[in-house]
Amino acid sequence: MPKSLYVDPVELRAPATIHFDDIPVNAYNRTVSDERAKYGDEALVRIWRDITILREFESMLNLIKTQGVYNGIETTYPGPAHLSLGQEAAAVGQSYLLTRNDFNFGSHRSHSEILAKSLSCIEKLTDQELMDVMENFLGGKTLRAVEKLGQVKDAKELAVRFIVYGALSEIFARENGFHKGMGGSMHAFFLPFGVYPNNAIVGGSAGIAAGAALFKKCNGKNGIVVCNIGDGSLGRGPVWEAMNFSAMDQYHTLWEEGKNKGMPILFNIFNNSYGMGGQTRGETMAYDMLARMGSGVSPTQLHAERVDGYNPLAVIDAMERKLELLRAGQGPVLLDTITYRLSGHSTSDQNAYRSKEEIEAWRAIDPIVTYRQALVEAGVASDSRFEEIMAETVERMTMICRHAADPAQSPYADFDRDPAFVERMMFSNERAETFGEGKPEALMPKEECPMYQKLKSKERAPVKDGKPVSKMKLFNLRDAISEVIFDRYYEDPTLISYGEDVRDWGGAFAIYRGMADAIPHSRLFNSPISESAIVGTAVGYGMCGGRAIVELMYADFIGCAGDEIFNQLSKWQAMSSGILKMPVVLRVSVGSKYGAQHSQDWTALCAHIPGLKVCFPATPWEAKGLMESALKGTDPVVFFESQRIYDVGEQFHEGGVPAERYEIPIGDVNVVRQGKDLTILTVGAVLYRAMDAAKELSEKYGLEAEVINLHSLVPLDYTKIVASVRKTGRVVLTSDACARGSFLKDVAQTVTELCFDDLDAPPVVVGAKNWITPPYEFDHYFFPQASWILDAIHQQILPLPGYMPGQSCTETETVRKAKLGV
Amino acid sequence: MANAVLMPKAGITVESCIIGKWNKKVGDKVAMGDILFSYETDKASFECESTAEGELLEIFYGDGEEVPCLVNVCAVGEKGEDCSALRPDGSAAPAAPADSAPAAAPQPAAAVAPAAPAVDGAPVSPRARKLADRAGVDASRAAGTGPNGRVIERDIRQLMKDSLTAQLQPVKEELAAAIAPAVESMEVAFEDVAFTGIRKVIAKSMTTSLQSMAQLTQHFSFNAAAIQSYRKLVKGIEEYAGITLGDIVLYAVSRTLPNHPDLNANMVGEDTLRRFKHVNLGVAVDTPRGLMVPTIFGADQKSLLEISREVKSLAEQARSGKISPDLLSGGTFTVTNLGSTGVEMFTPVINPPQTGILGVCGITQRVASGKDGALSVYPAMGLSLSFDHRAVDGAPAARFMQELCKNLEQFTALLAK
Repeated sequence: MPKSLYVDPVELRAPATIHFDDIPVNAYNRTVSDERAKYGDEALVRIWRDITILREFESMLNLIKTQGVYNGIETTYPGPAHLSLGQEAAAVGQSYLLTRNDFNFGSHRSHSEILAKSLSCIEKLTDQELMDVMENFLGGKTLRAVEKLGQVKDAKELAVRFIVYGALSEIFARENGFHKGMGGSMHAFFLPFGVYPNNAIVGGSAGIAAGAALFKKCNGKNGIVVCNIGDGSLGRGPVWEAMNFSAMDQYHTLWEEGKNKGMPILFNIFNNSYGMGGQTRGETMAYDMLARMGSGVSPTQLHAERVDGYNPLAVIDAMERKLELLRAGQGPVLLDTITYRLSGHSTSDQNAYRSKEEIEAWRAIDPIVTYRQALVEAGVASDSRFEEIMAETVERMTMICRHAADPAQSPYADFDRDPAFVERMMFSNERAETFGEGKPEALMPKEECPMYQKLKSKERAPVKDGKPVSKMKLFNLRDAISEVIFDRYYEDPTLISYGEDVRDWGGAFAIYRGMADAIPHSRLFNSPISESAIVGTAVGYGMCGGRAIVELMYADFIGCAGDEIFNQLSKWQAMSSGILKMPVVLRVSVGSKYGAQHSQDWTALCAHIPGLKVCFPATPWEAKGLMESALKGTDPVVFFESQRIYDVGEQFHEGGVPAERYEIPIGDVNVVRQGKDLTILTVGAVLYRAMDAAKELSEKYGLEAEVINLHSLVPLDYTKIVASVRKTGRVVLTSDACARGSFLKDVAQTVTELCFDDLDAPPVVVGAKNWITPPYEFDHYFFPQASWILDAIHQQILPLPGYMPGQSCTETETVRKAKLGV
Repeated sequence: MANAVLMPKAGITVESCIIGKWNKKVGDKVAMGDILFSYETDKASFECESTAEGELLEIFYGDGEEVPCLVNVCAVGEKGEDCSALRPDGSAAPAAPADSAPAAAPQPAAAVAPAAPAVDGAPVSPRARKLADRAGVDASRAAGTGPNGRVIERDIRQLMKDSLTAQLQPVKEELAAAIAPAVESMEVAFEDVAFTGIRKVIAKSMTTSLQSMAQLTQHFSFNAAAIQSYRKLVKGIEEYAGITLGDIVLYAVSRTLPNHPDLNANMVGEDTLRRFKHVNLGVAVDTPRGLMVPTIFGADQKSLLEISREVKSLAEQARSGKISPDLLSGGTFTVTNLGSTGVEMFTPVINPPQTGILGVCGITQRVASGKDGALSVYPAMGLSLSFDHRAVDGAPAARFMQELCKNLEQFTALLAK
């Protein structure tokens, strides 16, 4: 919607045709002899060696999972083994030219990619660099274990052992693993070699990898990002969102000089023809050839081509050309890398969906045989040399397997002696003023920005000289959030912000209004309407070491980004055993007028998921202090905001909202009103209705309610809540969330547990009805009102003399509604 | 390595002690000899000094808990050190292993029914129940005004108020109105004082005494002229100046008891009397912590001066709380002296398993008629003997008192024996 881009009716309505370029399919046609001079014999042989290491690794796991024994070592493990047996040559070819500055992300079937990328890095790094990497990793713990395997001829061999042992220990869930066993087979990674996480969610890496590319692009980092996913993932919306996000026109049309290049990302699809057992071509997809898909994304057709992944040299050739494009800023790129998995989807796969003939036909052209044959025929090395390499590979793998399987050498984390082992990993709880160096980029000094000047001129308390301040002049909840974000833009150069319509419009609720004057496009931009991509890319951006604050226009759209919030944003800190940080703030706005799909408070969904911090400020003072904490922390925070109260000024905090900076610890609560007779716990905008109820209780019934707003849901310090309930013995909990399964139901249960002997009545939750949200005209029939709070008190806690309840809160009614599911 | 601090053994006969109050809390720095906590036997109070230094890592028993002697009370060591091995229950890991958990107990069919309702079926809120317990009112008498007739806090408060008002019923209307605000304040004008170790022990011991024995009391008086003049006599001699009338009574008791062995005895069980060859005289002492009864062992062997000195020393030790628990038991008979308070007669409560206790009362002036019919006034000192009727009958008890009175009236003769 920028005014600089003219939507021309003449052009849009003029007749024309769309032109597509031909898409190369398996264009590579050179032989080993043709390439010998370019690569050198040693490198050609090493490619084969790497393939054998990958193959032996997968074969070993196959034997362990199916027979419980590998080369006489009896062992097994309960976790998954999604083997890339047969796909190794493609992985080695892909990694051949990549450096540690290039990041690769994987799928659930990515053991080969981790190892191939690491082996490639080992070859390129000096002995000293390798020793530094190994010594500094987990305090040298993994290296110490590897050293017990005995002397090695050089640092490279030590590093090969290190990488194989680290990966295997991770798969075996041992503490020496790459991330202490907490990730396992489907989430393994090794950052020092640019190996970024695999992902157990099909296509889960697409958005994350795009975020990593965004990080490189926005922060001027070297290297490109490879997103390795399978052909089955092309059926997933988030993958399309990520490709489109990576290819947006605005990078070229709107972003400032120096940042206006294409995204350095390669979507590499290891196309083995199956999504588990569903055959993509011919059954579950419509693309015929996967490489066609790039044509649907952008005029560059994503420079897509199909490449033969059963020929490592063909893959290297393609990578060479694609890397050139990517480094020149012409990304993104799509590669359809043909490969085949010779084993099942997992070790329990009976191959019911494919014929033996098919498998045999692929086995016959297995690169481990055919590539070796080509090398021998071209005279690169003798057959005996390959036998030696194979023997060496098997010997190394056997030694490492024995070591990794032995609990004495490779112990499990001791959950008995250290019950808080995982607990400590759930949040990093650190503080970071900045994640980058240098001066944050801005179009003008902060003080010159009109939006900032306007903020500073507002009145921070609702009453001035005894008179109420007009709404327009009052510093409100929206201003509180804006102020912190704007301040942080000028402190952390890595801070970026995006979401739907955030730039020119300023966000649907104007949090960013006016910031575009001062903040360059690359730091504040409109995303496509792609909630998966918004959150997924933020995860990738944060994981790589940048701070992102992104917006979902309505909390109801959390569902559109379900995987990214619930499986990615929340889990990577702990799955990486604390190696990764996740400094991402996800702002979500809770609507009020737009009906059933635009009015829901879904705090409970987020609070339920371990690993997310969840806030829902209801006053400007809370909003400012919490946002300051969120934007200085290192943990993912889902920051709920209510559209009902963006305009409210600070009514409770003495002196209004301070002009200076301050932090409110996430986890604290806000005692808004003191009282001795009853405690009202609130979440969100209902605070103001609860205050009305408290007023009526005081004036008509002589009861003084203590009102405590839970601006933080996770973490939550119960100290003040318990003190209040012990004092009053009575508690009503209220929020605009549908009552069933709401967060306050959980709080009510916990309060009962902590204060049972002091309770004069069961805690009562007053939530919204368990219905769809009806039109705004019926708002007061659906959302908790002050009178509902009195109804609940009168009927369930403390009968009020002379009170006539408006609605029934009897036990019979509770049972009836539960029975009907409403 | 973390070290445990043990509950000291405060005397040969002491098996366990009660922790009074902790002076340190977990996380505090502790040096050798720092006072960690106070503790009490059933008779005396002590302070425990630290036998280790470092940080106080864990406290295994809190204020008011009873701890067997020589059991670990707390752990002291380096910050962050694991001290689970020192836990007295030996539970290094708090949680029970899953496989040892018993199979889920079958749920009774009526598991959905609410838990046992209060008397008359009216449910009582936990808060109301707690308040009723504290105020000593019967929650089942409260009229429940909560939802579904639940007895809630305000109903108990009403009940408390009603019981106070009931006491004021006879008072005239206008007076009642004037008193109403007082009722309001009375409702909350109390303070709950939790018994400390010794008070708890006294309460328990007194109740047991009165509930388990057949106690009765006989009141005698004797002409105290003889002992008063003796006292006057010795007062002028520095060495003997400290001898009091009470000491004189103790002496007399120690010399009279051997002739009445059923009163110098302990009940063993329900049907055995253990008579003692010597008199170990318990002397009740009023201390800031409550009543304590140190023992003068072998009082029948000791001179009046010795008894006098020993009593003063024991009382001093008891009042300062430094007395050895071994000196607080082993009595065969007890004397409690309230004479200085002016009490004329009282019914002392026997210190079980003894069979008797002598209460010493004040001196009052009484009139007696002489042989010639003339009235004369003499100082009469009251003596009240409580005895266990299971062990001693009324007549033998009275004979003991007669002899005791005679010995006191002819005190110089007794001294001469």
